Amino acid sequence: MNWTNNMPARHGIELHINGETHAVFPKTEHTLLEVLRSQLFLTGTKRGCNQGVCGTCTVLRNGEPARACLTLAHECDDEEITTIEGLATEGKASLVQQALVKVSAPQCGFCMPGMALVATALLQKEPNPDQAEIREALSGNLCRCTGYVQIVEAIELAAKEAV
Amino acid sequence: MQYFRPATLEQALALLADDPDARCIAGGATLVAMMNADLVQPSALVSLKGISELRGIRATEDGVCIGAMTPHKVVANEDRLTGRLEVVRMAAGSIGHPPIRSVGTIGGSISHADPAADYPTALVAAEARIEIVSVHGRRVIPAHEFFISYYTTALESGELVVAVHLPTPSQDSVSVYRKVGRADGDFATASLAFCGSFANKQCISASVAVGGCGDTPVRSAEVNEMLVGSGPDSPRIAQAAEVLVETCDPIDDVRGSADYRRLLVRRLLPRIFAQASQKVAQ
Repeated sequence: MNWTNNMPARHGIELHINGETHAVFPKTEHTLLEVLRSQLFLTGTKRGCNQGVCGTCTVLRNGEPARACLTLAHECDDEEITTIEGLATEGKASLVQQALVKVSAPQCGFCMPGMALVATALLQKEPNPDQAEIREALSGNLCRCTGYVQIVEAIELAAKEAV
Repeated sequence: MQYFRPATLEQALALLADDPDARCIAGGATLVAMMNADLVQPSALVSLKGISELRGIRATEDGVCIGAMTPHKVVANEDRLTGRLEVVRMAAGSIGHPPIRSVGTIGGSISHADPAADYPTALVAAEARIEIVSVHGRRVIPAHEFFISYYTTALESGELVVAVHLPTPSQDSVSVYRKVGRADGDFATASLAFCGSFANKQCISASVAVGGCGDTPVRSAEVNEMLVGSGPDSPRIAQAAEVLVETCDPIDDVRGSADYRRLLVRRLLPRIFAQASQKVAQ
């Protein structure tokens, strides 16, 4: 039996991003990162290395941090995607975002969207992480300025303020 | 490039049989990076995401079976991987970083067959067997026969890894995985996996594999034999390390020179052998 004929290749898909559904028509090779930035103009997600090393393109796939540059858009049609644009509620920055500002964690700021999403996912799973857990969670995200110490501080602060 | 999301293994195999240039996509951690860099241009992608039978870990009559689509994170937290199988759990937990471990899969990693990756070395030492299927049938081969060369496996056109089988560990068995890399989460400059068992502080069985020091995980029956009968303080360990170094065929690359890799192997074997014997004591 020729399954290729029975199963047409897909074209248009729906993506569920920050609680909204978007109809998009990505090519098979289009990553979620490309679709977010170039088709949906959600440019808060940054393109760094485009090979899964730097972590600045991190988004949440069903609440789990993942590289948008290593995720094909077609692979996440049945998932809930959260980008940096989805953290604020009604225009108010999330606790993690507020804490990052409060301790002046951003220097150039390019790594911040990824850092904020990793921190958000961590605090959802573990509301009171210790330093080692925070560092482990951040271990896949590079900051070259580098303000790792302040970023860890900010996450500790966000955890405290959430109580 | 077409994209397919079959719901059953049969459908996936039929798609692969139809088009020899189609590639499977598992977690995407490696394939998408290679596509981004224009290193591969498949004619079509067959997503394995919808095939539930490929995901998860289950006990079998003679051991543990890890489905090809099981993410590294799940293997790294699997309680049934004890004794000589702990090496597989340790290797899974050493791969990349948390966001990589939550998407990357064991089937994807071994099918890519990077000899500096963590799984190949651990699976060869643990004497895993790889289950492969195609429309023509099913076969199961030992891990050391699966890895042929750099990025080259025993997979034929139209074949797919569906599971990794691990034999039930004996009660007294232990294992250790140790990777040395440039930074946390990097591929191995050199890595060593040891599986074995001890009685009265003497090694009674041993299986060693080395990663990052050849085109496949390096193993040596002679080294394994030299370790058997030895304790952690035996001078034979250093001799075995020399034989292991001679068996390796490392290259100079961005992660280290061939000489540095030989030095690492020479130092690592006695260390992980001692660590393994201490685990028994605990």
